[in-house]
Amino acid sequence: MENINLNRRSFLVSSAVAGGGLALGLQLPFGITTAQAAETVPEINAWVVIKPDDSVVIRVARSEMGQGTITGLAQLVVEELECDWSKVSTEYPTPGENLKRNRVWQSYSTGGSRGIRTSHDYVRRGGAAARMMLMQAAADQWKVPVNQLTVNKGVIAHGASGRKVSYGKVAAAAAKLTPPDEKAIKLKDPKSWKVIGKPMKRFGTVDKVTGRQVYGADLKLPGMVNATIMECPVFGGKLKGFDAAKVTGMKGVKQVLRVGDSAVAVVADTWWHAKKALDALPAEWDFGDNVKVSSASIAEVLKAGLDAPQAFVGNKAGDIQSAIKGAAKTIDAVYEYPYQNHAPMEPMNATARYTPDRCEVWVPTQDGEASFAATLEASGLTADKCEVYKIDLGGGFGRRGAFQDYVKQAVLIAKQMPGTPVKLLWSREEDMRQGRYHPVMQCKLTGSFDSANNLTGLHMRLSGQSILASVRPAIVEKAGGKDPLAFQGVADSGEHSIGYTFPNLLIDHAMRNPHVPPGFWRGVNINQNAVFIECFMDELAHAAGQDPLEFRRKFMAQHPRNLGVLNAVAERIGWTKPAPKGRFRGLAQMKAFDSFVAAACEISVDSTGNKVKVHRIVAATDPGYAVNPAQIERQIAGSFVYGLSALFMQECTVKDGRIEQDNFHVYNSMRIAQMPKVESIIMATGGPIWGGIGEPTICVAAPAVLNAYFKATGKRLRSVPLKNQGIELV
Amino acid sequence: MLVLPALATPEALQAALAKITGGANVRRGRVKLQLPPLVENGNSVEFSVTVDSPMTSTDYVKAIHVFTEKNPQPYVINAYLGPHAGRARITTRTRLADSQTVHAVAELSDGSFWSDSVSVVVTLSACIGDLV
Repeated sequence: MENINLNRRSFLVSSAVAGGGLALGLQLPFGITTAQAAETVPEINAWVVIKPDDSVVIRVARSEMGQGTITGLAQLVVEELECDWSKVSTEYPTPGENLKRNRVWQSYSTGGSRGIRTSHDYVRRGGAAARMMLMQAAADQWKVPVNQLTVNKGVIAHGASGRKVSYGKVAAAAAKLTPPDEKAIKLKDPKSWKVIGKPMKRFGTVDKVTGRQVYGADLKLPGMVNATIMECPVFGGKLKGFDAAKVTGMKGVKQVLRVGDSAVAVVADTWWHAKKALDALPAEWDFGDNVKVSSASIAEVLKAGLDAPQAFVGNKAGDIQSAIKGAAKTIDAVYEYPYQNHAPMEPMNATARYTPDRCEVWVPTQDGEASFAATLEASGLTADKCEVYKIDLGGGFGRRGAFQDYVKQAVLIAKQMPGTPVKLLWSREEDMRQGRYHPVMQCKLTGSFDSANNLTGLHMRLSGQSILASVRPAIVEKAGGKDPLAFQGVADSGEHSIGYTFPNLLIDHAMRNPHVPPGFWRGVNINQNAVFIECFMDELAHAAGQDPLEFRRKFMAQHPRNLGVLNAVAERIGWTKPAPKGRFRGLAQMKAFDSFVAAACEISVDSTGNKVKVHRIVAATDPGYAVNPAQIERQIAGSFVYGLSALFMQECTVKDGRIEQDNFHVYNSMRIAQMPKVESIIMATGGPIWGGIGEPTICVAAPAVLNAYFKATGKRLRSVPLKNQGIELV
Repeated sequence: MLVLPALATPEALQAALAKITGGANVRRGRVKLQLPPLVENGNSVEFSVTVDSPMTSTDYVKAIHVFTEKNPQPYVINAYLGPHAGRARITTRTRLADSQTVHAVAELSDGSFWSDSVSVVVTLSACIGDLV
């Protein structure tokens, strides 16, 4: 099996949805070059291309960024297609082609852990429809009823006559058939799945480990020039001017260009020459009033929100005010969660070539259609004159989806140099300074107890930034000013609903929006909400003198799947038995992205309290269906890399209106030696809803460790990251 | 009434439209609504409406109206024109709350109404899930 190889990839697309006569050959990297006869490579339908040698190409609209989604999506198609897995490869249909074909591949958005859970039905239908057409073609050829045929690994057989034919031999005939009626397509019972649920190896691994994989940052086109850019480091500021003459004589420099009203770019023969010149370029900025903002001033604003009279209600039961007023005892605590950056290994980049008749963009993107839309907007050309070619991402984590700023920049630069391909690659510093950051949030929690030490109520007051108010104000408007996404993991219903039922509950949000642009950081708002509620549940258990697991269970009777994963991790880690000497345990659970997740960990802390070793993490996930258990295990392990790095090391601070952390030396990630042993428990309990994998588990990493830290030291840590308190992961 | 695509059309849109037309027939044609088929986030989307009209004192466009199906306020803009306008064309920006069809209606000096419609996909590339 081979993954897409950009250099020699030949993408053949039939001109019609079903069985078109002529195919367009899209020869990357230069877009449409030739038209050729279709009969050599028949497209059975939008999802499936079968070549005469029986090799099968599965088209996948979602983007691969290391999460393994293209492998899982191909498994879904192949399950119904019944072809030979060893002959399968995948390719990305272009967003322009999707538009031309009335969005036959539907959404390209690769975020929200949605790759598989929102498309499993239609991609399986695509596979099933193709199988039906192939079998019909064989039946037509043999003049037998199709229901007398069977298929196994791409070979169709007629038992009565002993005839056999492979998919590749009937593909051309199948491509000419009318696709079956949607209602005639019956998907397999999950019990009979042969490919779904198997730990298929991920596509593309060999290319990645051998360095053959071409990332956006590596892309080279004939005649290409290199650009790098600096946007006003104070968000909202403008570019006043620059003295190009000071750098135009520098080696390799070709152009110094204004890009929009807030950025300047240098174009040179090599990227390094562009970077050296940009560093040397005298530029003048109008920083605006935001230059006065600092982390301290933001913290003050949020702090005031903790007790503000006005707040948006996200989840409510009973009467929390009466519960608190009538309580025998109340406890409260304030938690805080910082700005964090996605910081993918590959900085933002896009390569564009513009002429007045055509604009093409090559880009690592979490949403090819959003990149296409950005290309339309920046180029000013109509959709038939634009195309976007997706490249696998060197990390995305939410930065490369909803925000296509780098695509627009690349096109705006290329537009000033018609005919010349321009690769815009941000410096690491630019990538750190121009993030779309995990929003900053504080939270005040109050719990009330009666005289028998029963918890009677919980008030969780969030104060901090709304992502949607900035990114999708229309949703906030529709909700009467509230950001429903702020309540992820503690919502009253839906894919991020709370896993407890309390007699009295109020979860509300005092929205405070600093000028720092927020974004969807892997897991989004579950990260802070899990820390807040899951650590405070431990505080409440402690105040009640009860075991944290037993205490939680009292409120989970109506949340059987939350309870299922929590019980699973408790059992595996041996919660009811003493921990090994010197080790301490903590746990946490949450529902997010329609999956149920829990973690239990074992840590040790040195005598100073400053060195934490995480020895072992047990993580349970109930996504309903486990398409590829090996990928899920890796996603779970990777979630702890992300979640523990965030907990211990990662914070973006604001000084003079800009982000201070400009590279990895001040924005660290954990290393292999710090990685705990991760034991995954995958609980595929079925049901009508499919849950996501890529994000949910991240959020339980931090509270599980923080709760274990309390067990070890008796000290509550309520502020992330722990480095600010002198605590390091060893 | 305006011939709309086979979509559930909110009553608010129909009501806003009826207010303009007074129930008169709206024909398709003569109007060209230019709007990208895909937009990145919908927060600020440029569009233009051009009407095929000589813009003389006896034959001109009186007004151009733009409606959306899924915005909180369906009536986006009414632009009043006259023979002095010279060209029957407007360009502006709007926010689009979601993927939807946008309708442009032109009211001509002879009292007739003409229209064009464009379906727009707002790519919603984020971890937003069931909120939209």
